[in-house]
Amino acid sequence: MVVTTDMTIYTVAELKPQLLAAINGSDEPRIELSQVAEIDSAGVQLLYLARREAAVAGRKLRISGCTPTVQEILTLVGFPLDEEAAA
Amino acid sequence: MAKTILVVDDSASLRQVVGMALKGAGYDVVEGCDGKDALTKLDGRKLHLIISDVNMPNMDGISFVKAVKQLPNYKFTPIIMLTTESQESKKLEGQAAGAKAWVVKPFKPEQMLSAVSKLCLP
Amino acid sequence: MNLDLALDTYVAESRELLEQMEEALLAFAKGDCDADRVNAVFRAAHTIKGSAGLFGLDAIVEFTHGVESVLDRVRDGLVIMDPVLANLLLECSDCMRQLVDAAGAGDTGAVVEEAPALRQRLSVYLGEARETSCAGARAQPPARVAGSAGDWHISLRFGRDVLRNGMDPVSFLRYLATVGDIVSIATLADALPSVEEMDPESCYLGFEIQLCTAADKQTIEDVFEFVRDDCQIRILPPSSKAADYVDLITALPEADTRLGEILVSSGALTQAELEAALASQSDCDQLADVPGAQEATATNRRLGEILVSQEVVREPVVQAALDKQKQGREAKGQEARFIRLDAEKLDRLINQVGELVIAGAGIGLAAKRVGATEMLEAASTLESLVESVRDSALQLRMVPIGATFNRFQRVVHDVAQELGKDIGLVINGAETELDKTMVDRIGDPLMHLVRNAMDHGIEQTDVRIAAGKSAKGMLSLNAFHESGSIVIEVSDDGGGLRRDRILAKAVERGLVAPDADLPDREVFDLIFEPGFSTAAKVSNLSGRGVGMDVVKRSVGDLRGTVEVDSVEGRGTTIRIRLPLTLAIIDGFLVAVGKSVFVVPLDIVEECLELTPEARAETSGRDFLNLRGQALPFIELNQLFDIAGPRSPRENILVVRSAGRRVGLVVDQLIGEAQTVIKPLGAWFQTVKGIGGSTIMSDGRVALILDVPGLLEHVHRPASRREVLKSAA
Repeated sequence: MVVTTDMTIYTVAELKPQLLAAINGSDEPRIELSQVAEIDSAGVQLLYLARREAAVAGRKLRISGCTPTVQEILTLVGFPLDEEAAA
Repeated sequence: MAKTILVVDDSASLRQVVGMALKGAGYDVVEGCDGKDALTKLDGRKLHLIISDVNMPNMDGISFVKAVKQLPNYKFTPIIMLTTESQESKKLEGQAAGAKAWVVKPFKPEQMLSAVSKLCLP
Repeated sequence: MNLDLALDTYVAESRELLEQMEEALLAFAKGDCDADRVNAVFRAAHTIKGSAGLFGLDAIVEFTHGVESVLDRVRDGLVIMDPVLANLLLECSDCMRQLVDAAGAGDTGAVVEEAPALRQRLSVYLGEARETSCAGARAQPPARVAGSAGDWHISLRFGRDVLRNGMDPVSFLRYLATVGDIVSIATLADALPSVEEMDPESCYLGFEIQLCTAADKQTIEDVFEFVRDDCQIRILPPSSKAADYVDLITALPEADTRLGEILVSSGALTQAELEAALASQSDCDQLADVPGAQEATATNRRLGEILVSQEVVREPVVQAALDKQKQGREAKGQEARFIRLDAEKLDRLINQVGELVIAGAGIGLAAKRVGATEMLEAASTLESLVESVRDSALQLRMVPIGATFNRFQRVVHDVAQELGKDIGLVINGAETELDKTMVDRIGDPLMHLVRNAMDHGIEQTDVRIAAGKSAKGMLSLNAFHESGSIVIEVSDDGGGLRRDRILAKAVERGLVAPDADLPDREVFDLIFEPGFSTAAKVSNLSGRGVGMDVVKRSVGDLRGTVEVDSVEGRGTTIRIRLPLTLAIIDGFLVAVGKSVFVVPLDIVEECLELTPEARAETSGRDFLNLRGQALPFIELNQLFDIAGPRSPRENILVVRSAGRRVGLVVDQLIGEAQTVIKPLGAWFQTVKGIGGSTIMSDGRVALILDVPGLLEHVHRPASRREVLKSAA
């Protein structure tokens, strides 16, 4: 799934069902963040939720295409990222 | 993309100094001279922070904050209230309305910058 | 940052605001006052002050702060905007204009002469809500003492609403990274509920952070200032004991092992430390009920001392509670802050404390007699405790005189109008505290003095102008503490007392011999004689001949004194000196024959031995040579007709009262003692020179000397005494 908006408090309500659908709809769920200009705690928290849900379903969530801004924040909070996460 | 801050105060010189300090630190600044004027700046543009005085003509800061909290695109934007130490009640009123951060007037530009950076670094 | 351009904006803006302010104030001075105008004036002051702070114009900030505070109280209905206040504020706005102009001219350190006096006059309107001064220092964050860097551990659990409030935890973390180096962060998403329940706009996050910084705890806490009410914050300083982490773990909601892992992986603890700490904790828990486990319990407590971590939690909690209290207080007005209480209960308490003082002194005395060192120590501890209890108890009765002074604003305003004079009132020392009883009882004498000063002291405007004085007369009320007394002054800049007229009147009434040569002070004191009035014409307000003697008597009843300073043509000051309290004094005990007297310690200057040579030198005069100065003295045994053998060694106690020094000749100097004053019975009240009695710790009664009364009695000028005698 490609996230096309910011991942902030203003967008998470809308994004939550989309992300969950993406996770449940694929054996190899992937979230593409290259178009995300901004992320805040609400966005980070939603990624944690998505990651947990994927794990519960026995899948591994892949995050890819982080812009430097997004990567800085995900690294700061210690969100587990693979090498492919960066854009 | 630089983050944008709306500065609302009826003192032109305050807006000028705060604006200079914020721009110097790498923020974009939009100004409003009272609550009513500031609401017209909430026209869909992206805002990361609002700094608002309490005592202003036309529309005071508390009413302004309450109005902001009704706008879907701005209701979660952090707000710094400019309070004075003699107006503890105003600070509480502001907090109840949704302005959770504050800077006590009179302040030095550095103090404003430090409060701003807690809520959003450039 | 170049502020010059902005400063020009500031000056222009402030001038405009000052003009608006002046316009509104002039309307108020005419009695035309409405809420909108008050708001506008407040806002003007608020803006001038707020922006001045940005430019570091501290003089403007500080001065305008007082104006703003008073206006705030006007807005809240606590202070009424009357023409007097409006005029005062007009003067203030003039002062502000001068400061702003000076700042515009580049002089940021300008001093306006009138500012301190104006501030004083403003302060009386601030009443109970006396503002903490808002110096420029306020605008300066306190300097942080940087220690050496160390690893702090910070636990954060954010409240559900922080995101909706615009507070972004990640922002605080990014800011935290500017305070120190973030060694590690573990994000805890454990609190995330099931998918269905999870509200993406609520916050469920927690963080465990290792931060390496030289900053202090306050600095770290301040990072989270704006979420203090909305976030559990625990901060462990560098080199906290393993046990502190154990406490942290048990206090946090997540499973102990999970947190333990996080701490170990973050490097806060080693696995071994964690295990050892957890183990010893549980050992102690088991040992606690086993006999002889006291020592172990002590260890446990040491381990269990949550130390800083607990304090950190407590602070925001306390802060929240305080904020809440304040909120409630503001809602309910001032009432909640005070307990109304029957004055009688307070008096009883003070009486009992008085007895306690005596009992404590008795124990000390007994211990001294027995020579029991341990007991002496215990007694002295007790004594100092009792002393502080006494002070606190007396403090309960102390109130600032400001409220009393404040009432005179209106009086002066009204009376001035009635008299057709232009008179201003300046109040100084409104915060000076004195006993409630005295506050209640000093009001009437003060009222008399104020009216008197306005009526007879301050001249009609034309007279003043003819004398080259300002058209506006000034009256001032001052209060201050001076060597164990409170001094209250009523001063005017009027015509002063007419010495010749007073003397003439006194001679006419037979109070003074026609050829008497009296010093000024004694002449002026004559105005306190019953029925003495020199007013050329009797007005409605005062001058009916009753008054000054009543003032003197009322003050005397409070164990106080009154004195007059006056310069003809320049003005008069009436000075009332009162003891701080009526209940207890620190006394100095002296013996004459078998009688013991107490002299208030604060008036004792020194003790000397009266050697036979010195006595011989006096050769019957009632003064002696003290280091080249004449010291009048009083022999207490003669004064009080105390029979019995004279002591072979006499002593002199030098005391000072109302500016005069006098020696008291006594047999023996006993020492200091706290003295609870018992009022004298009705028959003794006419005895001059005795102010009360007290019961000493050995049960005997001692008389308290009323030194001012004594001096007056003994040192009446000879001429006057003669006249009085012949009149009798």
